[in-house]
Amino acid sequence: MSVTPIEQGAPLADEESENAATGTNIALPLLSAIIGLGIWEGAVRFFEMPTYLLPAPSLVATILVQRWAILLEQFGYTAMASVVGLAIGLALGIGTGTAISASKIAERMLYPWLVITHAVPKVVVAPLLLVWIGFGVKAEIIFVIIFTFFPILVSTVTGLKSADPELLQLVRSMGGRKGQTLLKIRIPGALPSIFAGIKISATLAPVGAVVGEFVASNKGLGHLLVVAVGNFDVPIAFAAVTVISVFGIAIWYLAELLERLAIPWHASQRTTIAGT
Amino acid sequence: MSPPVVFDSVEKIYASSKGRIHALGPVSLTFEPMATTAIVGPSGCGKSTLLRLMAGLERSSRGTILVGEKRVTDPLTDVGIVFQRDLLLDWRTVLDNTLLPAELKQLPRKEMVLRAQSLLNELGVGDFADRRPWELSGGMRQRVAIARALLCHPSLLLLDEPFSALDALTRDQMGVILQRAQGAERVTTLLITHSIQEAVLLSDRVLVMSGRPGRVLDDIAIPFPRPRPLSLRESPEFGAIAGRIRTLFEQTGVLAA
Ligand SMILES: Nc1ncnc2c1ncn2[C@@H]1O[C@H](COP(=O)(O)OP(=O)(O)OP(=O)(O)O)[C@@H](O)[C@H]1O
Ligand SMILES: [Mg+2]
Repeated sequence: MSVTPIEQGAPLADEESENAATGTNIALPLLSAIIGLGIWEGAVRFFEMPTYLLPAPSLVATILVQRWAILLEQFGYTAMASVVGLAIGLALGIGTGTAISASKIAERMLYPWLVITHAVPKVVVAPLLLVWIGFGVKAEIIFVIIFTFFPILVSTVTGLKSADPELLQLVRSMGGRKGQTLLKIRIPGALPSIFAGIKISATLAPVGAVVGEFVASNKGLGHLLVVAVGNFDVPIAFAAVTVISVFGIAIWYLAELLERLAIPWHASQRTTIAGT
Repeated sequence: MSPPVVFDSVEKIYASSKGRIHALGPVSLTFEPMATTAIVGPSGCGKSTLLRLMAGLERSSRGTILVGEKRVTDPLTDVGIVFQRDLLLDWRTVLDNTLLPAELKQLPRKEMVLRAQSLLNELGVGDFADRRPWELSGGMRQRVAIARALLCHPSLLLLDEPFSALDALTRDQMGVILQRAQGAERVTTLLITHSIQEAVLLSDRVLVMSGRPGRVLDDIAIPFPRPRPLSLRESPEFGAIAGRIRTLFEQTGVLAA
């Protein structure tokens, strides 16, 4: 007697509503953004707000176009510090996280230090960093590292430690050694959690860079922001904030794209490969 | 060729922060090679504990366990285990899930792919080798788990309520499939189940266990020739054995009459 398995096809109706949903996914936020900007523009004109208090979106747009050269130049520094700092932060966080979850000794030795350093308010450390490292891009990168290190560390440890105990028993009975288990079971299983951490760290990277530029640099959009506000040149400050925000959004979507490529098998990503 | 497994006055006591739990025993048993032994007993009586002890995943508190001549002290690596949850890896295809034990033992992939594919065919999921686990139904996933357990010709097949999460019809189907695979593989099997019918239908011997700490209340040989059709369950001989086990559960208060 042979048993024929029942094939599961993706229901058609679902796929269609999925596509329709993707359409509204883009349309609705866009509409909401346009309405918001419209209200802002209308309010500024109606109440005749001075530009040093609140510039209209149209003015910010004009500034973006007129002074793109200086904005782009300063953005270059911020972006560079963000990307370099994020890369180092991720490497350190994932490395430390793996060590902590792989070894009880590493965990006991490292944890108190991590908790202490995380508990210290980061902004308080700023002047000290200035004293220790000095003015410049190096201090800025360190700020980015400080901001990005913890989310990725915590999500790495959580991911690696959440391996199913019964699965680990099964793997042991298959003769799996510690290194093999880490490579073939724990790390792949931790990737969804690690990517959640990467996304948080990615959005914090520009924040770290800008905070670093506030206090410890004479370059970058953060520095531009400080100078602009000092001169009551609020429109360019808004333009700088716009650039930083767009950069933050771009970096988020880049991380999402990476996630989609790296863990297509995860439940959160499955709709994208359904129907293959 | 599978070696016999011998339990000699084996007991398991778990020590936890809330005190000690006497989970199992003492039990003394011999599991003959190639035979399928089913264990039925009330929830929490130590069935899974017994299975983990046999696999070396846990150490006994008293007594000894022998597989062949060798005393079990560390996890055995030539056992195939199937739990209630299939524990398939979402990031691997069905074929690569099946190949996991061979990969961990660093066996040559080429030969093992052939072996894996023929096992998947045998179990009726050969057409799904390239699929991901989530594209399969529960019953199909559990068949993949069985294929994975059998891949490296284990000397023991340990099944801990492998069909408990499946619906009644699929369970029946799985019983048929398991018998067919066993006919081809001839491996000493331990089957833990909550279903008296399943135990009698699929095994050569049923061990009935008491409530915690689990001891063997009854040891029943099941004489029916193989392969056994599902309709065997309607025969009076089958009913007599099932009835004997049910009565035992009623007498010990596991089943209220
Ligand atoms: N790791 C453990 N630590 C402490 N106590 C445990 C542990 N594993 C099992 N126990 C206890 O030992 C007893 C037997 O557990 P076991 O899982 O072997 O029962 P079981 O017969 O398989 O039950 P079920 O039919 O519900 O699966 C239970 O009371 C359980 O609480
Ligand atoms: Mg159990």
